[in-house]
Amino acid sequence: MKVLGLRLALLALLVAAWEIAGRTMNPLLGVPPSAVLPALRDLLLLRSYPDLPASLALTVREIATAYALAVAAGVGCGFMLGMHRLVGRVWGPMLAALYAVPAVVWYPSLMLFFGLDAASKIAFGFLLGFFPVALAVLAGIRQVNPQLVVVARAYGAGTVTVFRRVMLPAMMFTLVGGLRTGLALCVIGVIVGEILGSKAGMGALINHAYGLLRTGDYVALVLVTLILVVGSDVLASTVERRARRWTE
Amino acid sequence: MTVKALQLVTVLVALALWELVARLGWVDPLFVPAPSAVAPALVQIGGGALAGLADTLGKTALAYVLSVVLGVAAGIAVGSVRLLRDVLSPYVIALYGIPKILVLPWIVLLLGYGTTPAVFYGTLHGFFPIMVLVMGAVRDVDRTLVTVARSLGASTWQLYYKVLLPAIVPSVLAGMRLGIVFCLLGVLVVEMFAGLRGMGHLLSSFANGFQAPELFAATALVSAASIVIVLALDHVNEKLSSWRG
Repeated sequence: MKVLGLRLALLALLVAAWEIAGRTMNPLLGVPPSAVLPALRDLLLLRSYPDLPASLALTVREIATAYALAVAAGVGCGFMLGMHRLVGRVWGPMLAALYAVPAVVWYPSLMLFFGLDAASKIAFGFLLGFFPVALAVLAGIRQVNPQLVVVARAYGAGTVTVFRRVMLPAMMFTLVGGLRTGLALCVIGVIVGEILGSKAGMGALINHAYGLLRTGDYVALVLVTLILVVGSDVLASTVERRARRWTE
Repeated sequence: MTVKALQLVTVLVALALWELVARLGWVDPLFVPAPSAVAPALVQIGGGALAGLADTLGKTALAYVLSVVLGVAAGIAVGSVRLLRDVLSPYVIALYGIPKILVLPWIVLLLGYGTTPAVFYGTLHGFFPIMVLVMGAVRDVDRTLVTVARSLGASTWQLYYKVLLPAIVPSVLAGMRLGIVFCLLGVLVVEMFAGLRGMGHLLSSFANGFQAPELFAATALVSAASIVIVLALDHVNEKLSSWRG
């Protein structure tokens, strides 16, 4: 209770400090909360950016496509590396080494290859989301106790049964964690891609507002994008909790 | 040994396939050049690219030092005071999780183009993972150790220096391993978005100029540099942990 109160007090203090700092700053740079609210209202009433719903829908569609591809490829690749010992020992470290490269270095090449439209954002979101999913599947498979698999097989369980009854429950904890990280990274990848260069989507609107020094609109657009980010993570954590309860 | 050989074979086969695909004309050389076209481009961009790489790595080093110092200090401070930790941790986690790219335009408005925003943004990227790891490590320090040290009359200073610091070393090292990639990422993003020099700027200008061989060569150069840095850190990490026993 006391902690909650202090948290809220801190939040209020931060907003107040922002208000004071924003008022004393150059209005092109500092936007106090009292100026953000009208900008947000104009944005939501589609006065400042009438194409907000279309942009939001495009960004969501890019994220969904990138995530679907990342999960499919990540799970496939993770299983391939996890099920074959030698393949895993050869390619696993290579995958981990590639993961150590800051992914943004690939983005200019992707933009050159896929163009400025949605495809390059999907490709970049895919690239970011792929690694945590693949590495989580790989780590999950290594957690499965091989004796359990042997015993299940000895009692006549088929491949599908072994997978569903033995492997999946043992892997679940790691797997859903990887899937959640993958979604968060897909979202970040698509947004980074849009801000670094795009013609449509939330990132393009943010760049437009920034380029014209419409800082109030920029802050409002960032807030709307943040709702998208937080919403996707809330969804992922709900699924994660469900899945973990199912295995217990 | 076989693993190393097979990894080498994988790389060679991938390069050969790529060369074959490019030679057969399955991909447009304007967008995907063959490895045989990338190698001369690497030589050609050599000097300029190395200067750009040095510039980027210099900014990254500065951002990294700042992230480690600030992250470890903040992690210890917030982690060891119960009330501070309870109040601040949701904010820290939220700041860690949100895509920092959203504030990048504002940082550029505020700090302009060039080195300052790159170092600031790189530090912003590296700071949070280090702080979160250290905060958790300080929270999880064995209470018995603290109680025993206290009852044997350790001063607060001694408590931090003799008990807390040695206990959190593995987490600090893990944070340092994670932080370097984040710092480099942050610096490269700023160089792409609003850079005047450095590899990020070079990469995006090659992409905008449709200089695919040069772009691929520069990408390979940055990737190789970051892999070497991370592997070196891993190596130091292993040395240190075997020394700790």
